[in-house]
Amino acid sequence: MSASWLLRRVLLIAYTILVVSLLVFGITQVLPADAAVTLLGENATPAALEAVRLKLGLGDPVWLQYLRWLSHVLTGDFGVSMRTGQPVGPEMFAALSRSLLLAVGAILVMLVLAVPLGMLAALRQGRLVDMFTSLVSYLGVSLPEFVTATLMLMLFADRLQWLPATGYVAPLEDFWDSVRHLVLPVLTASVILIAHVARMVRSETLDVLHSDYIRAARLKGLPEPVVLLRHALRNALLPVVTIVALDVGYLLGGIIVIEEIFALPGIGRQLVVAITARDLPSIQAGALIMAATYAVANSLADMAYAFLDRRIRYD
Amino acid sequence: MNPVLSVSGYTLDYVTSGGTHRALDDVSLAIAPGEVLGLVGESGSGKSSLVWSIMRHLPRNARELQGAIHLGDTDLRRATPKALLGIRGRRIGMVFQDPSTSLNPTLTLGRQLTEVLVRHRGFSKAAAWQEGIELLRRVELHQPEVLMRRYPHEVSGGEKQRVVIATAFGCRPELILFDEPTTALDVITGARILDLFRRLRAETGVAALYISHDLGLVSRIADRVAVMRRGKLVEEAAASTIFRAPAHEDTRRLVDAVPRPERRLVFDEPSGPVLLGARDIAVQYGRKTLFRPAPPPATRNVSLDVREGEILGVVGESGSGKSSIARALTGLAEFRGGIRLGKRPIAGVAQMDAAYRRAVQIVFQHPDTSLNPRQRVGEILGRPLRMFGGDAREIPRLLEQVRLPASYAGRWPHQLSGGEKQRVAIARAFAAKPALVICDEITAALDVSVQASIIDLLLALRAEHGTAYLFITHDLNLIRQIAHRIAVMRRGELVDLLAVDALQGESVHPYTRELIAASPTPVG
Repeated sequence: MSASWLLRRVLLIAYTILVVSLLVFGITQVLPADAAVTLLGENATPAALEAVRLKLGLGDPVWLQYLRWLSHVLTGDFGVSMRTGQPVGPEMFAALSRSLLLAVGAILVMLVLAVPLGMLAALRQGRLVDMFTSLVSYLGVSLPEFVTATLMLMLFADRLQWLPATGYVAPLEDFWDSVRHLVLPVLTASVILIAHVARMVRSETLDVLHSDYIRAARLKGLPEPVVLLRHALRNALLPVVTIVALDVGYLLGGIIVIEEIFALPGIGRQLVVAITARDLPSIQAGALIMAATYAVANSLADMAYAFLDRRIRYD
Repeated sequence: MNPVLSVSGYTLDYVTSGGTHRALDDVSLAIAPGEVLGLVGESGSGKSSLVWSIMRHLPRNARELQGAIHLGDTDLRRATPKALLGIRGRRIGMVFQDPSTSLNPTLTLGRQLTEVLVRHRGFSKAAAWQEGIELLRRVELHQPEVLMRRYPHEVSGGEKQRVVIATAFGCRPELILFDEPTTALDVITGARILDLFRRLRAETGVAALYISHDLGLVSRIADRVAVMRRGKLVEEAAASTIFRAPAHEDTRRLVDAVPRPERRLVFDEPSGPVLLGARDIAVQYGRKTLFRPAPPPATRNVSLDVREGEILGVVGESGSGKSSIARALTGLAEFRGGIRLGKRPIAGVAQMDAAYRRAVQIVFQHPDTSLNPRQRVGEILGRPLRMFGGDAREIPRLLEQVRLPASYAGRWPHQLSGGEKQRVAIARAFAAKPALVICDEITAALDVSVQASIIDLLLALRAEHGTAYLFITHDLNLIRQIAHRIAVMRRGELVDLLAVDALQGESVHPYTRELIAASPTPVG
């Protein structure tokens, strides 16, 4: 992983974001929403509407509007929300941080549970653990999030009353309360990740255990735990990195259902609110930030992969 | 003197859904201290089963019926799993067939070498690292300090195998099992590994069981040779005599199968017109990109002719560009340069029409991957037949030509043995009634005895159809038996192109001389 690779990677991310910005801007142009009408309401006089259009530059050619928007974005200015009148950037980044908290939590829970589960299933192929893992995986993949979420709510929030049902508390405000609020959404989100990853780890471990180098390690007289942890684990984990990177997309956009059910104001939820309100600056900012996060997450995954598997060379 | 290893009356079965299969039948052998016993047999003869029995690494469906295996005074069949940890790697070392799969791709070579030293010789990590460097030096690796920190994919196959050998010798075991350690390497590298083996053996006096399907090779390095067939030891004799006087019929078959350059199989001398001429063929994979310069070309300006009915051998080590030539001549790779088919010039892949593709056919190295596993043999052969104007009724004739029963048309590739699959691939090439067949290492994955029968078949087909062959191989002894002329390639260039008789002459390229030296003929 050389400096030139990193540089190229950064350029690639920038390029991705540029393309996304074009798409996002294009789509918001096609949306049946007139910014002036959104701002002033349905009953505004034509003269007032015209004044706003002039002030916002809505009459300018599209490419000029795009360049103006892009240059503002580059300085960190995503514009002002048409719904609240507040700057869009800080609002969206705050929402992103809440979503990332959820995503990182879900990935951690997944790593702690799915990796050992998958490896155990492979080692005890055809036995109880294996069947249990298969069951968990099928359930996780086939149950929609709103079902899992509802079941969690019924059990932990309603019946047992262990955890709060909805809401969000910032970690800096009250750490423990924040964690208590995050547990259920994180668990719900991790179910599907565990389902993906446990199966992947299982099949990958099976492959690795049948490989020549594992046999060689055993025939060198290494005890089984060393064979598994030193020789098998790393190789079995390789594809997990890829899966996790792909799931980041799901965790950012797809868990809108979870954010909605647990009333967690993440970026997915903010984006839906913005779309319903035809709040163009918020839509643009939300989509762009999501795309950027996804691009960065994937690059991080590539780097992790290169670190784990030295055969991958980025030179 | 007590033997290091003794196996007596050992019988092993595998239980499969199709019934019980006897893998080893009343096998007895002994290896004295410092002795090298060669074990020869075709694939499936039970050589590997014997290795797994000795290493106590049998699959679950294995059933040991009787017999004993002793390492010194230790009864291996009674050894507990815990005791085995102190035997494997410590008292019995092992060198595997393919160093590119037997080394873990995600750990450094040093780590994989030193872990046994830490485990079995009680070294600290730092001391083991020093000892590791010393061991790598003893297997004649340059810059061992640097190599220790490398990953397997960063070094060559020969270097990898040397690391595996250093690991096997590292704990000073009483016995080392060698499982075809040079099969996966090219000729020159393999020859150097054998030299190393001889030297280390002389230095350490270790006893060894050396397994191979190549009787010629084993007879050069072992003290005694045991021949195995269908789970039974059929003959055991001193290495110096087994080649000259094979007592058992199976041994004689193995002896006959070993290619020997002095025994020519082709006697005519084609003098017809040039069938295929290639001028300045250059193949380049991958292009220059914005960030990356273009990789070096796979071949540079290679020119060669094949006459009608001629067998042109192409030899060289792996990566020398042999296969790239085959890919260019069949239009599988883009190339620069010119080809002539008879009088017709062919400037590039785009000009290779049906007539050209019919005239020039190819057989690939691995029939496992070149035959579609989802098609029956009949479908595999029917497609080219229809395409080149024949019809499906010719399938039985085609199968008969490659000496397979007509009933094989209904079989799937996985129901055939490696040699049978390669016959199907040959039949597919001959379905087009080609003038030239390019054989790209078609016997490299096969046993020596199967190789001999495939060569017989090719020569018979040539006698019948007058087909020319471009025969790519790394086995110089084999090609000297059949080729009229031999092209020697190295690093993408043609270094020699000469008649087979001229190979022993004075004017050959130094590299060609090195290749000849690395392919010694069998003793006796």
